[in-house]
Amino acid sequence: MTDRGISRREFAKSAVAIGGTAALAACLDRGAPDVPEGADDPASLPARQHAWNDALATDDAGNPRMAHHHVLLLLDYEGDGTPTDADRGQVEDALRSLERAYEWSSDGLLFTLGYSPAYFDRFEAGPAGVEVPEPEALAPFEDPAFDTPDALLHLASDHESVVLAAEEALKGTKESVNDHEMAATFEGVFGVADRRTGFVGGGLPAENQDVDGIPDSEPVPEDAPLFMGFKSGFEGNQATEDRVTVDSGPFAGGATQHLSFIRLHLQQWYEQDSREQRVSKMFCPAHADEGKVEGVGENLGTDSAIDECPEDVVESGRREGVVGHSQKLSRAREDDSPTILRRDFDSTDGGEAGLHFLSLQQSIADFVATKEAMNGTDVSENSAVGQRTNNGILQYMTVERRGNYLLPPRSLRALPPADPA
Amino acid sequence: MDRRRFLASAGLAGASLVAGCGSFQSQSTRAPPLVENRPDGTYRPTHVEGMGMAGMAEAGDYMVGFGYSFPHRFWTVTGTDAERVDIRDADSVHLMATVWDPETEMVLPISAGVSIAIERDGETVDEKSPWPMISQNMGFHYGDNYELDGDGLYTLKARVNAMDERRLGPFAEKFSEAAEASVEFDFAQSALDQLSYEEFPETQGERGAVDLMSMEMMPTSQTPVAGELPGTLLGTKKGSDGVYAATWLSEADFLADGESYLAVSARTPYNRVPLPMMSLDGSVEAGGETVFDDALTAALHPDLGYHYGAVVETTGTDPSVGVDVVAPPQVSRHEGYETAFVGTPSFSF
Repeated sequence: MTDRGISRREFAKSAVAIGGTAALAACLDRGAPDVPEGADDPASLPARQHAWNDALATDDAGNPRMAHHHVLLLLDYEGDGTPTDADRGQVEDALRSLERAYEWSSDGLLFTLGYSPAYFDRFEAGPAGVEVPEPEALAPFEDPAFDTPDALLHLASDHESVVLAAEEALKGTKESVNDHEMAATFEGVFGVADRRTGFVGGGLPAENQDVDGIPDSEPVPEDAPLFMGFKSGFEGNQATEDRVTVDSGPFAGGATQHLSFIRLHLQQWYEQDSREQRVSKMFCPAHADEGKVEGVGENLGTDSAIDECPEDVVESGRREGVVGHSQKLSRAREDDSPTILRRDFDSTDGGEAGLHFLSLQQSIADFVATKEAMNGTDVSENSAVGQRTNNGILQYMTVERRGNYLLPPRSLRALPPADPA
Repeated sequence: MDRRRFLASAGLAGASLVAGCGSFQSQSTRAPPLVENRPDGTYRPTHVEGMGMAGMAEAGDYMVGFGYSFPHRFWTVTGTDAERVDIRDADSVHLMATVWDPETEMVLPISAGVSIAIERDGETVDEKSPWPMISQNMGFHYGDNYELDGDGLYTLKARVNAMDERRLGPFAEKFSEAAEASVEFDFAQSALDQLSYEEFPETQGERGAVDLMSMEMMPTSQTPVAGELPGTLLGTKKGSDGVYAATWLSEADFLADGESYLAVSARTPYNRVPLPMMSLDGSVEAGGETVFDDALTAALHPDLGYHYGAVVETTGTDPSVGVDVVAPPQVSRHEGYETAFVGTPSFSF
């Protein structure tokens, strides 16, 4: 819904949600973490900006575990026309400073810098060899606004103070990070059009549940990694980094990135639906019948056992009257593998329970196909399953914003030309 | 006692009109204990409540009306299980949105549903998508219990999604776009407290239903009397307490040459409230051949109402029809409907 009212809540925001030097100082007052330093030679880092998996910690089951804290900066290029080499140099120097300051890991700092269709509009043609379409509504029942900044910077770390310090350093309000001086900043090159933040990982959603969209009964389980109370990001449900990498053309080694902001309405989910209904809707009805999911789903290991849900999703939905979110998504696989790599996280931006759904894929078309599978429009056709009711978790979410980006390979991450060849 | 004592407050925001309801009771007593040993079918509930009108507005092809009442307990349905939703302390009202076609006054069950946000002074007070729901006295609507912040002026914003049900005849070109509407709702607890509230200690739990209320401002959902359905009525059957009227149309403006149409109108007993969001399979034999054997599609036609149908390639006029309920209506239920229509019967006509 457009023209929504603002949140009525005053809530205790996390330092990352507040942002700025004061929040950083407050955060460090609680104890400065010992953060490993980065590479002497940033050229030794992976050629892919999105090569994070090897740099992430793993959970007990062996799944790559996403960094806990996230900042997204939507940036506008401040120059006129096409970027100058000087500006490119400045951006690259700034990013290299961060890489020298922090280890490329979730214990240090991970980041990507992507570029939108609006950015490439300043060139004669779009990016060579990769389609980066303007964002669009991806379901008949959604009405998102579209993000049109020039660039999207994603900062991620297990330490709140690291994402905050990196952000301040790029904005030029902090001269050094982790005892390393910044050789350059984004000042004069990039202006911040919007700032979004979030978190993922056991305990964080429960700590941050005092927001609109989650009832006052504090229903989010203590150990849940996400507001909806279940684990996601099982390795078996994720595309590999290879699968999402652009494999030819000047942007080979890059990936496309989709970012949506989804608001969550979880009162019905937690106070009306039973545990069995939640498991049916998140995974599949067979998982609910068989009691397959314990707690937040740590017992599932490295995949959500979707091959144990009925394979014919339409027929299963017609018979059961309900279809699971994961069950629907299992149809978006190619050669039995997912095509998108989720790096999503929850948010309390605006005092509302939300999800920044960030995903990487070789082509935005892979995301669109996955989203279409999640819409389950074919399941609700000729079926007791509604277009949103009992149709996975669609009842509980509103897609507010969408944006598409190109993540160039690391060598082209600083204000790339549309045709680097 | 006159059962029909529910009056809508006819658009007078906040002012509810109550006909002779004697006793005012505190909210905690407005959910009397459930009937013990509820029958497996439609039964008279422990009580019914009146409804106040919060407002109505046009939204694209749709009209949307908002009614409110005391917070209710209700049941959501997943598969063949009905899950009770109890009233929370925080719940202020049961809010009901009814969507209809202003031309035919037909209430529209839309599978993609409605989203509602309640705002006050520009701030969001509550927001969720109400459940598609059936009630003996309110018929089909979208409803849930919402939390308000005391007396005052609220804005109710609704987004009505596009219909993905098949639309036939004059409906073919309509309801294909989502639309938004908002109304100003002047809420007063004292007005809510004056809504009628009637218990049925003598008849609660008996097979039967309270009457569908009639409102001046807003239509209620009712399927046509079986005998008045267009085409040749093949019969009316009952299963899991639902009533299924099958009709066969050899001619209709939406049919091409050589086509016929099978329509199955599923409704509640007593009140003929439509039963949306079911999975139905149908088969048709005509002239000794199976001419159709597939899923029936939820569809809407001004004369057939909401139904499940299929275009069948035959000119046969004397078909044998089989209908299997594959999944019962996944609509939420107000008291008295939660034990009905949860089975999967089969019929032949």
